[in-house]
Amino acid sequence: MVLAQPELRTDPEAATGLGAGPLERSRELAGRLAWPTTAERDRDRSWDPALFAELARAEPGPSLAGPLVPASLGGGGSTAAEGLALLEGLAEGSRDPGLALAVAVHAVLATVPLRAHGTPRQRERYLPRMASGEWFGALSLRQTHGGAVAPAVTARPAPAGQGGWLLTGRLDLVAGAPVAHHFLVVAAHQGGGRTTFLVDRATPGLLVTEGGPAAMHTCPWGHLLLDGAHVDDGSVLGTVEGAAAEVEPLLAVLDWVYCSAPWLGVMRALARDALEAARGRELFGRPLTHDQATRFALADLATQVELAEGLLRRTASRLDDGGALPLQDAAAARLFVADAADRVTRAAAGLTGPLAGTGDGLAERAHRDALFLSRTGGGAQVLRPVVAASMLGLG
Amino acid sequence: MNDRPRSEESTPAFPGIASRAAATDAEGRIPAANWDELIDSGYLRLFHPAEAGGSGADADAQFDAMEALARACSGTYWSATVSALLCGSLIATYGSLRDHEQLLRPLLSGERTACFGIVEPTAGSDASTYRTTVRPSGRPGGGYVIRGEKSRITNAPTADLSVTLARRDKGPGDNGPDWCLAFVNLRQPGVQRYETPHMGLRAMPWGGLVLSDAYVPEADVVPVPFQALSDGMTWGWLLVSIAAIATAEAALTASVRHAQARVSFGRALAHMEGVQAQLADSRAQLDAARVLARRALRERASGSPARQLIGMLKVYATELAVEITQRAVQIHGAFGVTQGHEVERHYRDAQMNVIGAFASNRLREQLAEGLGLGPAVYQPFDWLAPTGLRHHPVSLDGGTRAVQAVA
Ligand SMILES: Cc1cc2nc3c(=O)[nH]c(=O)nc-3n(C[C@H](O)[C@H](O)[C@H](O)COP(=O)(O)OP(=O)(O)OC[C@H]3O[C@@H](n4cnc5c(N)ncnc54)[C@H](O)[C@@H]3O)c2cc1C
Repeated sequence: MVLAQPELRTDPEAATGLGAGPLERSRELAGRLAWPTTAERDRDRSWDPALFAELARAEPGPSLAGPLVPASLGGGGSTAAEGLALLEGLAEGSRDPGLALAVAVHAVLATVPLRAHGTPRQRERYLPRMASGEWFGALSLRQTHGGAVAPAVTARPAPAGQGGWLLTGRLDLVAGAPVAHHFLVVAAHQGGGRTTFLVDRATPGLLVTEGGPAAMHTCPWGHLLLDGAHVDDGSVLGTVEGAAAEVEPLLAVLDWVYCSAPWLGVMRALARDALEAARGRELFGRPLTHDQATRFALADLATQVELAEGLLRRTASRLDDGGALPLQDAAAARLFVADAADRVTRAAAGLTGPLAGTGDGLAERAHRDALFLSRTGGGAQVLRPVVAASMLGLG
Repeated sequence: MNDRPRSEESTPAFPGIASRAAATDAEGRIPAANWDELIDSGYLRLFHPAEAGGSGADADAQFDAMEALARACSGTYWSATVSALLCGSLIATYGSLRDHEQLLRPLLSGERTACFGIVEPTAGSDASTYRTTVRPSGRPGGGYVIRGEKSRITNAPTADLSVTLARRDKGPGDNGPDWCLAFVNLRQPGVQRYETPHMGLRAMPWGGLVLSDAYVPEADVVPVPFQALSDGMTWGWLLVSIAAIATAEAALTASVRHAQARVSFGRALAHMEGVQAQLADSRAQLDAARVLARRALRERASGSPARQLIGMLKVYATELAVEITQRAVQIHGAFGVTQGHEVERHYRDAQMNVIGAFASNRLREQLAEGLGLGPAVYQPFDWLAPTGLRHHPVSLDGGTRAVQAVA
């Protein structure tokens, strides 16, 4: 049996009609375009460029490649909250956390720092092509929680006359690496300051290899080897040695909010599957839906989904307020969503898991990938001190 | 929109009530000064429109005020909010302004208080065990009398009025609902009350009503189908959820303060990652609960029963508050288990919210039903024995020893 996606398949009108919001539209799109090949792509660890191109150009409606790029630069001009909804819908429809992560990294984590700190030249060069899906932007998920992990790349001034910088080091966990046109790389200077660079794939001295973690198989993963890679002054994003105050905290907030977003959709899908599974089974000659342990587990599961949704959406909508970004609120939201994803995955798998031997394997994927979610963005070891520091006035 | 509690720096609401909270708890009585402060603050009027004598605050303002009062003193909050919000809403919803304005207005002005009597000495979760009945008085002026016992009722020992759930003694040809709400004047012969000592919320009057043919005017008996009543009850679930959030917030604030002040191993506790983890987890969970609570209150105030949402909130927020107050006790060490310490009070108060107004698991049953799993089905537990899982296996050598049932 392949689990049907009732809401996705039987109500195309609601999905494409004018009244549908970004969440419904991207859910429908992803259900139609991505979901049929999700299990296969996961098994083969493959990335389908044609699929991404289709998601990027889907008309009318969600611009999945560049929702947060201003319309004047060819993007979707969406709000932060709408961007969140798009990723929720993408993951819910595709039932593919890896694909949604790749899109989140490209469309938000690699994009927004350019929008926020790019020079007019950088914005005009990169953003329209990123928004159209022509250029894929990538970065290492080790560089999205400030300098909590010692920077693995160093920057030193290029020899006099040449100008610019030489970057040396190795980065792993680079989401999008095999297909990326360019990378955001934070590099440390000898004095300890850090600078963000835009490094094009064609940069001499940069080697991109494939390989990634034991999770999120449908995201294209790779490593960057920088061996004195030369970048010019125009590739500095923000100010020299300014990363700690500019791009790093921004990347942290973006990771905590937008890499969590797909999990709202995944959790909803899991909750629906679990409900379906409970309905079809019997134990002790009674329907499983009479069993209180099952009933209570489903009630708690639905509650976790509701709580996570509320908290993360509230945080995203505060990004639209225009003021300083609430770093500790974003950290708290990630802490909560990662925990909820873990609880929901375990509870749902209790009903739909390995014993069931049916379905499209979402429970198994989610088990593996929820663990990934809880270990990235710095994991609890980074998130808790960030939240606690603001409560305690320390740090 | 502010999803965080009022900050420490902003003037605390209900400063007098807050300053007396420990003494109020120790004495197990709400002092008159608390009621004066409540009346002056306009708290009791917030929940009702002007035509009913209220001030018609919006949902967010209601939330802020409820949380502030519950943080100041949870026992006082329970008593005041059960009367003005819960009983007031029940009267306004199921009664009518024309007939019952004279009952409602004194609750909002603070001249009188009310209680909501549903539960009886039998299983509180199971309405089929309730026996309290309303029947025609047979007196010349008409009206009804009510007989039965309500137990574990907030405000029962002190209230002037009881919004009472009762069965209707239906005469022949009466096709109306089996249940009614009776607005019973408690200042009359035929009403006895008792107090029940309790673990937390000690200042909250709590106990029973014994109604021995107490008189109820005809207009004050409102027949209500049982199902319709449950929408009114969600106000109770909300009220308790906000109490839980406030208690958890107070315990968390105390924990932060203590962690900053207490020095151990040469540094404040605040520098310990283990303490930070407890604080951060509490912060994240409480934020999530508060976002849900605000949304639930907005939906409820706009007229939707929001049953499922408020049910989820009640289960989560009340159990979370137990967890957070437990962490607070741990962070405070022996202070946390010392009688009279703020955190010891919060720990006791938090337990009350899990049980009051539908215990958690009973509510989970309802949530499951709301998810489409059908109503709860109760059967005697007799399905294990036929499976063979009530018998000790024979020895590893097999043999013919008679099979023994597990004792
Ligand atoms: C602080 C406080 C204030 C209160 N104020 C009022 C008030 O103002 N008015 C009023 O009428 N009552 C009031 N009550 C009583 C309260 O409503 C009842 O205590 C509550 O409904 C539970 O009933 P019970 O205590 O008899 O427990 P029981 O019904 O005996 O339940 C005991 C346990 O069994 C579980 N259980 C019961 N049924 C089920 C089920 N179907 N599925 C799974 N688990 C189940 C419950 O969750 C609970 O854990 C108050 C109680 C408290 C603690």
